[in-house]
Amino acid sequence: MSAPNLLELHNISKSFGALTALRDLSFHIGSSEVVGLLGDNGAGKSTTVNLISGIYKPTSGYLSVDGEKTLFTCRSDSADAGIETIYQNTALVDSLSITRNIFMGRERTDAFGFLKQVEMRDIAMEVLEKAVHISGIDSPDKLVGDLSGGQKQAVAIARAVFFKRRVLLLDEPTSALSVRETEALLAQVLKLKAEGVSSVLVTHNLYHAYQVCDRFVIMSHGTKVFDVNKADTTISQLTEYVVLT
Amino acid sequence: MTYAMTDSAVPKSRTKKQSLLKQIMTMPAGAILLVFATLQIVCIVGALAYPDDFRYLSPQNLTILMKAIPVLGCLALGAGILMIAGEFDLSVGSVYTLTAVLMASLVDGGMSAFIAAPLGILLGVMIGLLNGTITLRLGLPSFIVTLGGLLFWRGAVLLYNGAVQVRFDPEPAFSSLFAGTLLGINAAFIWIVLFVVGFYLLLHRHKFGNHVFATGGNPAAATAIGINTDRVKLVAFAIAGGMAAVAGIIATARVGSVQPGQGAGLELQAIAACVIGGLSLRGGRGSIIGIFLGVMLIHTITDVLLLLRAPGFYLDMFIATLIVIAAAFNHLIERRGTA
Repeated sequence: MSAPNLLELHNISKSFGALTALRDLSFHIGSSEVVGLLGDNGAGKSTTVNLISGIYKPTSGYLSVDGEKTLFTCRSDSADAGIETIYQNTALVDSLSITRNIFMGRERTDAFGFLKQVEMRDIAMEVLEKAVHISGIDSPDKLVGDLSGGQKQAVAIARAVFFKRRVLLLDEPTSALSVRETEALLAQVLKLKAEGVSSVLVTHNLYHAYQVCDRFVIMSHGTKVFDVNKADTTISQLTEYVVLT
Repeated sequence: MTYAMTDSAVPKSRTKKQSLLKQIMTMPAGAILLVFATLQIVCIVGALAYPDDFRYLSPQNLTILMKAIPVLGCLALGAGILMIAGEFDLSVGSVYTLTAVLMASLVDGGMSAFIAAPLGILLGVMIGLLNGTITLRLGLPSFIVTLGGLLFWRGAVLLYNGAVQVRFDPEPAFSSLFAGTLLGINAAFIWIVLFVVGFYLLLHRHKFGNHVFATGGNPAAATAIGINTDRVKLVAFAIAGGMAAVAGIIATARVGSVQPGQGAGLELQAIAACVIGGLSLRGGRGSIIGIFLGVMLIHTITDVLLLLRAPGFYLDMFIATLIVIAAAFNHLIERRGTA
């Protein structure tokens, strides 16, 4: 317990007008840890994701990164803290190539803002070959729109890996994937953990979460109702908490 | 791949040919390039075979073509970059007239055209920014906002100037810069080629272009990755307005006067050129080369029909058919892309 946690949420509340989406929510993400953020629809999972990725500001409460109190006011704040969100419908642009998607918003350019296309392509090629193993992608020039759901997610993860993120927030990562692609993704999460990258799996698929997570945070009605290590629980107990609270 | 070598050479070359055609078709402007090249070959062969009846290659005709293309070209480049960013500007035709009238009357009042022209461009940029601000701040469809702009600025021209023609009589240096010739090539055509190169670099080789495609292709993704989509769109609106003014300058320098009604319908032609050039109406797809080829195709067809002495309404019907075919084709490609 000596090293500070990568990310901590302290008594976070968030309301939208009269609606309270999050109430006094606290949990943490340690280093090299896979956390399952579980809960039924409307439990506040997506609000939490948007809050951690800097899109929402909390109404009260605060975050801390490496033990230091902080507040994310925009997307790039969370990126600077090493957090990358990988969305349900993957934040990629179908009409652009894999290379351009990987570098979207963080293009390598010369002093005049012109793209260093060869350099970016070479890096993309290397990332695709080494960092993530995706079947069927042979060229970084392929349009993302031509890829399958799993391949798209892999590109999004490749992007996170290349930019040296320490925490991946995966928002319903398996909802659009085939069985094989799901297995590949979960294996990828474990591989990244071995390399020191933590992940948060936001999902309501308990079985996928149970496969890879070290710890589970269960949310209901905007707050945390259960926080348990995998060793201390069973899938039926988790189900009970998600369903009954 | 070794077993393929044992096959006879015929099927191998056939598959190669197919893949080349397929490659061209999947390029952003591949289909239009194919259509344009075919049309050019037919026209050139026709002109060589019947030099007296079909004067496509006569110097006069080529000059007419080179003079006609830049005006629509400038409008389409500006409107096109905005379309790729996911918004429309229907007001470019009216802005084109308004800025030209402003420039011409300033010059008439004694101002140098070298000052009046930049002022016209500035007005175009300001109107673009206004369109963008209203659209983005109020969250309205740009289609409606700029439809309002189309009517408003058309009315403003009549209010400011009346329905009379404005003479444009700039210093000779200005005229030769925009309407002269260099090595036998029309100056306006050189301008449009420069603009095409510039816009190509901006859209396909510069980081801003990447943000334009991201903004139009998936605004949520662009925002999530930290791109300020509102700013990208605002700049695109400004470019559309500014290029409308540039089109006005080029047209006015060529003709030597401005008709208050001259811009009507040009906005639709500009959008038509973009659609024919492979731009998606939903944004995120397209290329500068495609836009330029779309403009050239519209003018080539217009020219050919005129040379064949076809009645004017043939032209509209031809363009109309072409737009629908192009849109259907684009839609097909898009569906394949998002499947």
